[in-house]
Amino acid sequence: MWASCRRLRALRHWSYERRETALCALSLLLVCVLSACAFVLPTYLLLPLAGLNGLLVIHGLLRRGSIWGVLKLGLVQLSITLSLYLILYGVEHLAQGAVVVARIILATIPGWWLCITAAPERIGEVLSAFLPTKWAFVVAASLSLLPYMADEIREIYQIQCLRGARITPKALRNPKNWSELVYCVLFPVLIQLLKLSRQMAVAAQSRHFGIAQRPTHWHSPRDKND
Amino acid sequence: MTKKIPLSLQDSLFVGFCATLLVALTGMLRLKLGLSGHSMFLMSFFYLICYGVLGRFGSMTACGVIAGIVAMALGVGKGGPMILLKFALPAIAMDLVALLLPLSMNLHWRCVILGIAGCIAWAGKVALTNVLAGMALDVVLIQWGLSVLKGGFFATLGAWLVPPVLTRLKAHDLLHRDKF
Amino acid sequence: MKLLALEGVSFNYGSQLPTVLQEVNLAIGTGQCHCVSGPTGSGKSSLLNLLAGVLNRPHEGDIWRYPQLVTGLVMQDPQTQLLRQTVGAEVAFALENLGIPAEKMLPKVQLALRRVGLYLRLDTQVSTLSLGQKYRLMIAAQLVCEPHLLLLDEPWAQLDDHGVSELLAVLRNLIQDGMALVLVEHNASAFAEIIQHYWQLEVGKLSEGIYTVNNAPQVEAPAWLNQPKFEHLGKVLVSAEAFEFGFDACPTLFACPHGFQLQACEIVTLVGDNGSGKTSLLKTIAGVLNCRQRIPLKVLGRRPKLGIYGAELGLLMQRPSRQLFETSVLAEMQFSLRRFDLPKERAVQMLDELDLFSLAQLSPHKLSYGQQHLIALASLACLRPKVLLLDDPLAGMDKHYYGKVWYLLKRLSSQGCAILLSSHRSIEHSAVSRQLSLRNGLLVEELIETGARYVG
Repeated sequence: MWASCRRLRALRHWSYERRETALCALSLLLVCVLSACAFVLPTYLLLPLAGLNGLLVIHGLLRRGSIWGVLKLGLVQLSITLSLYLILYGVEHLAQGAVVVARIILATIPGWWLCITAAPERIGEVLSAFLPTKWAFVVAASLSLLPYMADEIREIYQIQCLRGARITPKALRNPKNWSELVYCVLFPVLIQLLKLSRQMAVAAQSRHFGIAQRPTHWHSPRDKND
Repeated sequence: MTKKIPLSLQDSLFVGFCATLLVALTGMLRLKLGLSGHSMFLMSFFYLICYGVLGRFGSMTACGVIAGIVAMALGVGKGGPMILLKFALPAIAMDLVALLLPLSMNLHWRCVILGIAGCIAWAGKVALTNVLAGMALDVVLIQWGLSVLKGGFFATLGAWLVPPVLTRLKAHDLLHRDKF
Repeated sequence: MKLLALEGVSFNYGSQLPTVLQEVNLAIGTGQCHCVSGPTGSGKSSLLNLLAGVLNRPHEGDIWRYPQLVTGLVMQDPQTQLLRQTVGAEVAFALENLGIPAEKMLPKVQLALRRVGLYLRLDTQVSTLSLGQKYRLMIAAQLVCEPHLLLLDEPWAQLDDHGVSELLAVLRNLIQDGMALVLVEHNASAFAEIIQHYWQLEVGKLSEGIYTVNNAPQVEAPAWLNQPKFEHLGKVLVSAEAFEFGFDACPTLFACPHGFQLQACEIVTLVGDNGSGKTSLLKTIAGVLNCRQRIPLKVLGRRPKLGIYGAELGLLMQRPSRQLFETSVLAEMQFSLRRFDLPKERAVQMLDELDLFSLAQLSPHKLSYGQQHLIALASLACLRPKVLLLDDPLAGMDKHYYGKVWYLLKRLSSQGCAILLSSHRSIEHSAVSRQLSLRNGLLVEELIETGARYVG
């Protein structure tokens, strides 16, 4: 009785997970559609689109996202494009330039919104659904290894600094020393990556990686009592 | 595209790690430098490393696609599906050009040519967006030219560093292949 | 019941390369525990890979496997084997690959975790586990497939004593359940209570018995070398007042109520369990790690900062092979000498002294683990630093290189260098002058019997 109740609860949690993933897939689709709309819609429809994007921005800001990056991109793009339009075509075409920039920004906002609202690992999961198993594993493994890689790079950098390599921020102001950064830091990191990929391949194969044609997916039951 | 090439798991993992490192470093440098075009330095470096280490058609494309996906999953840059193109397009261009280049050519030159090819495709992606957004062609061309100039400088720099690194990897017996 | 048998198995990694295994015979049955010992680089790990069936190279001889034999292989480094972020997903990885439906995974995963004594929530992040827990998690990730034979690669070297005792309890139960176990380990005594068969692997030959170094090179320094120079004695090079150490995430990792000192000519050990903060302390002393709160610490009279000490301070981090990048051992050793404008001849002298001159022109990446370790240490030693910090320099070292490391350390200390070396076990060596212990969040000096003592 207890076991079946538990199983039921677990099943409910799995469906919750599935829902999350489906929601993320839908958001991804929405983002693609909205971005595409920004390019293909006629100008008079841009205003409603901007309204939609405005909703996304508000939602994103409520989720504590920072819009600064998009704004900066917009400003840079605006200044370059407008000045070029001004030089090439004169004042009367400035509005046209502004519309172009508006389209580009409208195409960017949905992506920004996705980054804030969807958990990156969900996006990864959705994208992985389109990838062959091996590459899905590669993406997941690379992502989970990122903190380790960052530590590794930092430590190698520090070791070489202590060994006297000319790679301190001060020394790097001189472009002559840039190659030292490549040899002392990037090169050992590459060697580490080569070794790591070999060991990880063995580890994955020792756990039967690549045996089943269609591997299944683990869904963690969000059960606090486990 | 990546489907047709049976890479071993080890090689695929290496490609994946390179792609992740590329995305992470790009994100980091963006904060520090704020200079456009520098991402071409890292892109040409890592793609060409994959080309040199694996030495097969499609390795750069695989690296580019994975980098795009990783960038999306990490939320690097302004995000959204566009970033996938930003990483994948130069890689595909480089792979295609690599097919045309004779293997007898000096590795340095091969790398530089591939780097520049990647850069042109990279700038082409921005141009494509601009054309789609309805920008006047002159403006598109000028912006494209500027991007190629800036990116080309960094791409050449990145490509120039690859052959010595490959030679060293080989000296340490870390590559299975005899020729690049 | 016999599970696996090797008969006259030989193999190598390439036709020109030396044979890794030569005519190896081995039979493993249910409930047996075998231990293979041998020097580093003798092919122990390759033997395990061969038994696990993950070796992609052809071999000679016969390998007989019980028809439905399932093997589980736990390698050394958890970092390369933990492939997922949460505990549940990690254990379920093998099940996913076998195509087991998601609903059937949960009981299997829970059982596997229970068998290794990990009572954690399934969505616990793997990164928050201690090394000992990670190790047991790796075993659980293999147990979930219900293997008949479990293969473990050098568990002792990376676990602290607490981790080893937890592991022993788990392994004892597994053997009672009829599982066969093969351990590769150079400290077999730590697992003596469960081991039934001892093997030693040397130059590719497997024979019964425990590997011992028969010709341990006693590179004893001449007596005059061990006499510290009078002018250095008592000079305080590193000093810290009472402080609390912590990160943003973990406000106090440990406290040091009385402060500590390091004096010239001393070799001080820093002993504590994995994750107690030894590495962070060493990095802080070297100025590599900057904490939010300021620690009242003076190194060579200054507040530590990366890059201000030049050749006067050396830090050897764990796995020193990652710092190697030059094309030859000699160039590698001369790198720092060149950068600090010191005489380059010191590198040659050092290699001569350590009896390693034959390696001078080789690529450092073709050396064995122990050799790489020693070269990295020697390249620091030829700078003749005033303060030398070593993070677990003896981990995974076999006895051959162990002696050479101590020779180097004694030599440096007699030249006036203050040496602080960390370890997750107490080091019993006559050259050690004091021990700092890092236990239960406290860094205090502990008395040891041997050697001269200075009060810090």
